[in-house]
Parts: sequence; structure tokens; C-alpha cells
Amino acid sequence: MVRDRTFGNRVTDIVLIVILVFITLSCVLPIWYTLSLSLSSNSAAAAGQVWLWPVDFNFNAYAQILNDNQFFRSFWTSTERVLLGVALNFTMVVLMSYPLSRTAREFKGRNVFMWILIFTMLFNGGLIPLYLTIKELNMLNSIWALVLVGGAQTLVFNVILTMNFFRNLPKELDEAALVDGAGPWYILFKIYIPLAVPVLATVSLFSIVYHWNEFLYGLIFMTREQFYPLQTYIQQLVVSVDPSTMSEAQYRRLSELSNRTLDAAKIFIAMLPVLLVYPFLQRFFIHGITLGSVKE
Amino acid sequence: MKNKSRWFALVLACSVVLGACSNEANNTPAEPTPEQSAKSNEPADPFGRYEEPVKISISIEVDPTDNELPQGDTPLENQYTRQIKEALNVDVDHQFAASGQNLRQRISLAIASNDLPDAMVVNAVELRQMVEADQIADLTEVYEQYASPDIKTIIEKTNGAALEAVTFDGKMMALPGVQANADGIHLMWIRQDWLDKLNLEPPTTMAELEMVARAFVENDPDGNGQRDTIGITGPESGGKLYANFLESKNNLYGFDPVFSAHDAFPGYWLEGEDGKPVYGSILPETREALASLRDLYAKGLIDPEMGVRNKADEPIIAGKSGIFFAPWWMAYGPLTNAVKNNMEANWQAYALPLNNDGEFKPHAATPSTEFVVVRKDYAHPEVPMKLLNNLFKNEQENTFDPSKGGPGYYPLRVVYAPSDEIEFSVQAFREVLSGSKTAEDFADNKAYKLLPSDIASLKTIKNEPYDSMDISTWNPEANWGAWTRTYSLMVGGGPLVDTEYNEVPSLLYEQTPLMESRWVNLRKLEDETFLRIIMGAAPLETFDSFVENWKRQGGDQIALEVAESLAE
Amino acid sequence: MRMKGFAKHYYLMLIPGLLLLFIFSIIPMFGIIISFQYFNPGKGILGSDWAGLEHFRYMFLLKDTQEVFVNTLVIASMKIVANLIAPLMFALMLNELRLMILRRWIQTIVYLPHFLSWVILGGIVLDLFSYNGPVNQLTALFGSQPKVFFADSELFPLLVVGSDVWKEFGFGTIIYLAALTGINPALYEAANIDGAGRWRSLWHITLPGIRTTAVLLAVLSLGNVLNAGFDQIFNLYNPLVYSTGDIIDTWVYRTGLLNLQYELATAVGLLKSVVGFLLISVSYYLAYRFVNYRIF
Repeated sequence: MVRDRTFGNRVTDIVLIVILVFITLSCVLPIWYTLSLSLSSNSAAAAGQVWLWPVDFNFNAYAQILNDNQFFRSFWTSTERVLLGVALNFTMVVLMSYPLSRTAREFKGRNVFMWILIFTMLFNGGLIPLYLTIKELNMLNSIWALVLVGGAQTLVFNVILTMNFFRNLPKELDEAALVDGAGPWYILFKIYIPLAVPVLATVSLFSIVYHWNEFLYGLIFMTREQFYPLQTYIQQLVVSVDPSTMSEAQYRRLSELSNRTLDAAKIFIAMLPVLLVYPFLQRFFIHGITLGSVKE
Repeated sequence: MKNKSRWFALVLACSVVLGACSNEANNTPAEPTPEQSAKSNEPADPFGRYEEPVKISISIEVDPTDNELPQGDTPLENQYTRQIKEALNVDVDHQFAASGQNLRQRISLAIASNDLPDAMVVNAVELRQMVEADQIADLTEVYEQYASPDIKTIIEKTNGAALEAVTFDGKMMALPGVQANADGIHLMWIRQDWLDKLNLEPPTTMAELEMVARAFVENDPDGNGQRDTIGITGPESGGKLYANFLESKNNLYGFDPVFSAHDAFPGYWLEGEDGKPVYGSILPETREALASLRDLYAKGLIDPEMGVRNKADEPIIAGKSGIFFAPWWMAYGPLTNAVKNNMEANWQAYALPLNNDGEFKPHAATPSTEFVVVRKDYAHPEVPMKLLNNLFKNEQENTFDPSKGGPGYYPLRVVYAPSDEIEFSVQAFREVLSGSKTAEDFADNKAYKLLPSDIASLKTIKNEPYDSMDISTWNPEANWGAWTRTYSLMVGGGPLVDTEYNEVPSLLYEQTPLMESRWVNLRKLEDETFLRIIMGAAPLETFDSFVENWKRQGGDQIALEVAESLAE
Repeated sequence: MRMKGFAKHYYLMLIPGLLLLFIFSIIPMFGIIISFQYFNPGKGILGSDWAGLEHFRYMFLLKDTQEVFVNTLVIASMKIVANLIAPLMFALMLNELRLMILRRWIQTIVYLPHFLSWVILGGIVLDLFSYNGPVNQLTALFGSQPKVFFADSELFPLLVVGSDVWKEFGFGTIIYLAALTGINPALYEAANIDGAGRWRSLWHITLPGIRTTAVLLAVLSLGNVLNAGFDQIFNLYNPLVYSTGDIIDTWVYRTGLLNLQYELATAVGLLKSVVGFLLISVSYYLAYRFVNYRIF
């Protein structure tokens, strides 16, 4: 693609670059800010003196985290949750999307199932019945509560995405396979899945991010702190304390625990995994989401 | 259509099954039945040890990030639980643990799903809800038979307030905690070093408060050549402008003393001129106080970011704010960090400003905000009472070492503090410092349980002259922990001893039935209107329409209901 | 033809996913019944007395409910529009950028905020717009008085929308970028030969090329008209901005959690689901009608 290089175009280019770089920098800001907080002294951080550069640079907060068993336990719980969650999500999404990507003529009842799915996506009975259900299934304090409930909540969205991708694969592929006498399982696993890598990467990334960042279910289904996933643990750091019902022991804890530096260090570590995973999945990813939603 | 109704039938079927399951689960006590346990126990020994181990599941407020337990100990296995096993033969289990707002959420969930631990600590709103749902046991007899004499004394000393808070239809439905009176009295904390530097006196009236705040804003009290200081700190985002009848104590950075200087008691139920209960927020005095706050704000003397700022303590810690209002314990709050930041930050507390009659007239808090409740069919309803007896006794005897995990780890802990604990401690310190009494004089003072250890460390952190409270006469670095408590007591508790004041109580401190459905909305209306008036986002006249709206949207009905409940 | 016997396999594939949804989504829906009851937790859902439509009647009488519905609609619609336009603009700018290395870096970085939770970002946004914060320092250079941004009920919705766009635009850009790569480069060359400048190519080739994508995204986002973003608003709002900032979800949270009014909270939640379901159906119809595409 050749374009003329006039002066006007040069200026446009430079303005463009400046704007783009500025916007891009603003996106790194929260991570940078958290990092510089975590490397500052606690009193400077609590006094709001830290902005773009650490004040009283030190690594104390990170040294302190090394001794925090609960932090690592939670980190591991979250890792486990993400691994199981992605595996579950992958299997269910693939299995559901294929039949639903057939037309109503090919698969009678397809539309009924689809509307049931949409219905479950939009309606819910609130937390209390969900909690009771989990309790009756004896899943309180089990990682499966997080994996399965999370899976059910994100399933439909991911299925819609993947199903759209499947639907847009060329019909000729199916026809050729059918002529060769292939059955539905063969078509799904040998033809569709290899072609669907982009969308499956996308869906997996969604599921990684979801399971890593979700904190509420950790709080509801895990009745003891040692089972908390990482974000639930982090959320406890930032949740506000209401002093009106506090007793003296609690005031004491308040002053000892107000440690913004340490909190920032924990938050920073919690941000890392998703940020690190992303670039690896990125190249599959861009095609996935588009093909899933649009047929040009 | 057919399909849909079939699904619905299935759902219903499942809910029936689930419901049945949950009922069954609740009805299978693995423990002996109440009659059996009553028989097997000797008659009512508040400290009696069970022969067979007894299990109790509870909720506990634990911060998962808390690292103060020694290696190997857990929230379930520590000096407190070991002592309980030893002394009472009670095995404690945590049904759930959380902290702060999350604990409230969990308790709310437990109540709504009727999946309750055997006992837990709840607040007044939750207590009421559980009484109505008929979920908790009547503890009248438990209290009569098992409460230790010390605890009974403390509860009875509240002039019936503690018992009233837990009595429904003549039955005692919970064990009330009792907190020190001082938690509900809000003082003016001020940078004495700034006052001195600008040759000012602590402001005693609203007019003087304005003058001092102006000087703090305009005359560069921190001497950095920039106009970057705040006169008066206001509440943070989500904070309260004033304590109210439901949360009547420990309101940090509100304007409680400013309101009371105008004889206004918003958020409190007061006796009106006609003798009927009236809500303080709709009275003309509140309008006046709002007008004066609005004026201060408009002049830039109150933190421009009040109500929005995420952490109101930041400017205090950073040495950018000169005045804030809060109760006595502020060294536990922002002042430790403020002093660590600047050893000359000389924060002192005053029972000021005064009203037009020259009086300091704070609002009074309820002594009880925490309640221990017991699940209805729990086989040993007396266990929680015994746990509390045991805690109080051992705190007197100094059995526990707070450095091996704070008292918050004690199961079902609620505070039993004599209501004058703060004032009494201040007096004791002063007597020890002046030499008129010695540590031995307080050695066996049982109700004031922390006093002996406080006195032991007193002189390591307080230098002479002993009658000055100036920050330069303290030595916090010798022992920050002891300094925090002692500075809070002597500086924050001092004015309570030295000032004569009459407290204004609320006519009631709990919700009435109608409030359950209406109060959130009325409260929202009030919070929003008042903040907007002060910050100039709405004209002062909005107050008048607020009063109208408040009455119309259920306020009048609620006032009638309050009158009824008081008449009972 | 040969696909006749496939249906039973299709059912087989759907079973795991449907089972998951049935247990973790459909069963807990019995909680919706609460909104038609005087719910007494001690008696449970089966034992509580019926209230008929009482809670719904009260809900419609309440001035608050109307206010929060309006706020939700306003904020969510602004978000929908802004989140369609901003990524489009950004994608177009990025498309014009010829430094490929820079382009790739920018692409990777601008997605970062999407992965961070509002618990973390909320605090940072508030810091940015604080009285002494960078934004006020910047406007002071142009002589304006410092302002307490988050105390201003007129500004609040804009700040919410703005910060949401900042968090999500990078992610939204993916879709447009992929659509842009789908445009045949030969079209640009032809235009270039005809002497068309940058702007005219943009107008006549690029924009029409991504029209379908844009319309489809717009239609799809209709389903979100009642999702104004609980996490975000909860972390940013305060009573001063209730009149424009309090949304259905925050209100339900306060009513249900702080005042234990489960019935009313469930009723409002149900109304939200119903409206959401209607809107999804409408967008399904619109997408079919205007771009001839079945979204699910």
C-alpha cells in the first residue's frame, strides 16, 4: 500500500502518534501507580504523598509478603480455580456450541435450547437460594463451588460466541466430511476444533480473567479465610471498616493493619498473572472475537 | 408452552426437595437434647466445666490478612480456644469467618437462608430481624442463672439500657455487650502547635472556630509557603455527618460537636415541645447548624473534598489538616501515623465548641451495640454466656497474652467495659503520675481490667512535666503500643474528666417495624440533602422541602410508631 | 440426508452443559418466589406467607425506584454509545499509524485496564480527580479553579462513563481492528490512484467496510441497557451524587444487605431481569431485521 507523503500527512502522523502514545500511557498508569505505592514507605503512602515515583524507596512490603502463608494459600487456590475453570469451560463450551450451531432444520429443538440458555443468562434468584443449593450439594468450602457456579454463569455468553464462530465456518467442510461418512463427534473434534483455535483461545482468556478476578463467590461459598481465593483476600484489604460498632481490640487492629504499602504490593502481585498470560493468548485472540460476532 | 410449564414443575419439585433437606438438616442435633443437658449439669455454675465435651459453632470476625498469631496457631487453635477447652471443655468451631462489611453480608446471608451457627455476635438491626423470624432462643433464664456477678453488675449499671435493647415481649433474646460511654462523645481534635504558632487559643464558640479555621487555611500554619492546608476535616466518602440513633458512637470526622453547639441533634429521636417523639434531623436547630456549616464550607474553611475523599485521615496524617471531630481514641486512629510522620504534630482534644449557653452538650450513645444470639434449637444455650464469663474473668486475671493474638480471636467476644472506664483510667493515671497513688493501689481493681498493665508502662512513655500533655513531653518511640493507648486516654479522655457536661440521649436506639421497610430510603434522602446543602450543591431552602418529603414518605408514621413503642 | 441420525448425538453433547445450568442456574431461581412473599427466614420459602404483588406495588410507588431506574438507563445508554464510538475512533487512528512496532505495542498495552477490577481502579480514579490531584493541577494551568469532581451530581454520570470508556476501549478496539483487516487493500490502492486523500478513503472505504460490525455491536449491546456497572459505581459514588448516580444494582445491594429487605430487593432484581429479557429479544429481532443476522 503506497500513499503519498505530503507535509500535511506528516503532521497528521505526528499528531496521531502523540495522541496514541498519550492514551496508551494512561493505560499503564494504574499498574505503575500501584507499583510505586508498594515500593514506598508506609507513612508516605498513607499520607497520599506517593504519585508517579516511590517515596523512601524500599522492598519491605515484598519481604513481608514472603512470610504471609495465607497470601500464598490464596494464590494457589486461585491458580487451581483458574485451571479447573478453564478446563471445564472449554469442554462444556465446545460440546454445547456445536449442536447449537446447527440450523433449526438440522437439529430440531435447537431454538428451544437456545432460548433456555438466554433465559438462564438473564434471570437469577439472588444469592440466598444459590447459597442454599451449594450447601445442599455439600460444596461449601470446596473449590468446585467456585468452578461450577462460575462456569454456569459464564457458559452461555461463551457458547454464543463460539457457536457464532462455528456457524460461520464454510459449509463445504461439513459436506465433504459427510460424504466421507464422518459422524458428528468426528466432525466436531477433527474438523471444527482445529479451526476454532482463535475463538477457543478467546473464550479461555475470558474464563481465566473471570475466575482470577471474581471475589464475591469466594466470600459467600468459602466460610473460612484459609479457603479464600486471592481476589477475595485482596477485597478484604480494601473493604471499608465501620467504626461505629468497633470495640477497642478492633481499633487497635485498625491502626496496626492500615498498611497501604503492603496492600499495594499484594495487589500488584495479584495483577501480574493475568497481565502475563494475556500477551501469549493475544495473537489467537483478535481473530476469535471478530469471527465470533460478525459475518462479513 | 408445554415445555415451559414442565420446567417450572421441575424447579418447584427441586425446591421442595431442597427445602425438605434443609429442614431435616436443622432438626438433627448431634448433641443431647435440652432436657438431657439441663439434667446432667449441676445447677447453674457460671464457670462450670462440662464433663462431656460440648460443641459450639460460631461466627467470628477475623481479618484473613491478620498476621499476629504465633507460628502454628490458627484462628481455631490458639491460646483462647485452648484455654476454653481446658476450663469449660467446650470445642469451638467456626461456621464462618469474615471481617468488616463482608461479615455483615455473611450474617445477612446466614439469617436469610436460615443456615445459622449455634451462636453469633450481631448488631441491633440483625437482632431484630432474627427475633421476628423466630430464629433465636429466649435467654432470660440463661442470663439469670449463668451470668457472672461481674457481668451482671456492668449490665445493670447501664440503667436498664443494655437489657432494654435485648428485651422483646418481656423476653431476653440476646446477651448485650456494654461499651464505655466515652465512645459516643465526640470531641474537637486540634493542632495545638499550629494554634501556638499563630498565637491563637482553642476556639470555644462557633465564631471562634471560624476564626481559627480561617487562620489555619490562610496563614500557612505548616510553614511551607503554600496555601495548602485544610481548616476542618469532614467525613470521608460513605462517612456520616453525625452519629445517629442506630449507630450512635465512634463517628470519625463528622460534625457532631458543631451540631450540638447549635443544640441540634440530627439522627436522634428527641422529645418534642408537645412531649411527643420527634426526629432531630427535621428540627429548626438542625437547619441552623446546616446553615452555619454551609457558610464555613463556602468560605473554604472545611475540606473542599469532604464526603468525596476516600480516606479522610490522609490529610491528618500528612499534616495538612488542623481540626477534626472524633471520640477519645484517636491515637488508635490517624494520630499514630501523623506523629510518626512528624514528631511535632501536637494533636490535643477539647470538649468544644460550646453552645450559646456556654455548655458542651454532646449526644449520648447507647451502651450496647453488639449482641450475642443463640440459635433456637441449640442444645446448650448457656454455653455462650459461660464463654463470656470465662473471658471476663481471665481478662481480669491477665491470663491471655495479647501479643499472641488479640482478644478478637476469643469466640463470641463482646466488650464488657464499665461505662466510665475511660474517665476512671484517666484519673488513675493522673494520681499515679502526681504520686498520690501507686500501681499497687490499682492492682486488684477487677472491673478495669487493663489498668494494671497500663500503669506499669506509664512512665516509660510519659516524660515530665506530668501535667503537660504536649507531644514533646511524650516518648512514643519507647513503646508505640503503650503510647497509643495512654495518649488516647490522657489526651482524648482528659476533656471528659475536666468538663462538666450533660448528655442528650436518643429516646430509642433500635428500629421499629415500619423502619425496616422505610428507613433506607429516608436515610438516603437525609444524607443526600444535608451533604448537598453543606457543600452548596443545593440551596438552604431545600431543608424545608426535605422536612415535607421526609414526613410524607413515612417519617410521620414512623414517629407515631416510635411514640407507641415508647409508651409500652 | 446422512445427518438424520445425528440428533441423538446432539442431545448427548448438550447434556453436560444443560446439567450444569440446571443445577447452578435454574434450581436457584426458586428464590424469585421471595418477591411474592412476606419472607420469613425462620419459616423458609415454603412456609412464608404470600404477599401477591404487594412488593411490586410498593416498588412502583417508591420515588427511589423510579430514580434508580432512570439513572440506570441514562448511565447505561451513555456507556453503550460511548463504548461503540471510542473504540471505533481508536481503531481508526491505530489503523492510520504506519509504525508497525509502535502499533503492536499500543495494541497490547491498551487492553491492560480491562483486566483490572474496579476495586483496584476505583481508588486510582478517585485519586486522579481529587482536589489536589493531577487533573485539577492540569486545569489550574489554564486558570480554572480546582473542583471537587466527584461531589458534582451533574458531572458524576459523565465521569462514570468516561472512566468506563477508558477501561474498556482497548478491549473494544479488537473487534474493529479485526474488521478493518478484513477490508480489501486493493480498494485503498484504487482510491489512491484516483487521487483520493486520506480522509476521503476513510469516508468512502473504511467506514462502509465496518458498517455491519458497528450496527451489530450496537444492536447486541441493547441487552445491557439495565447494566450500568455495579462494581464501578459502588467504588466511586457517595451520597452527594445519589440523585444521578444511584443505580438499580447499588440500590438493591443496600436494600438487601444493609436493611435486610430481601423481598423488595428480589422484586427489583426480577423486574430488571424481565426488562433485560425483553430487550435481548428486541435486539435479536433488530439484528435479524437490519443486518439479517441471527445473534443466537
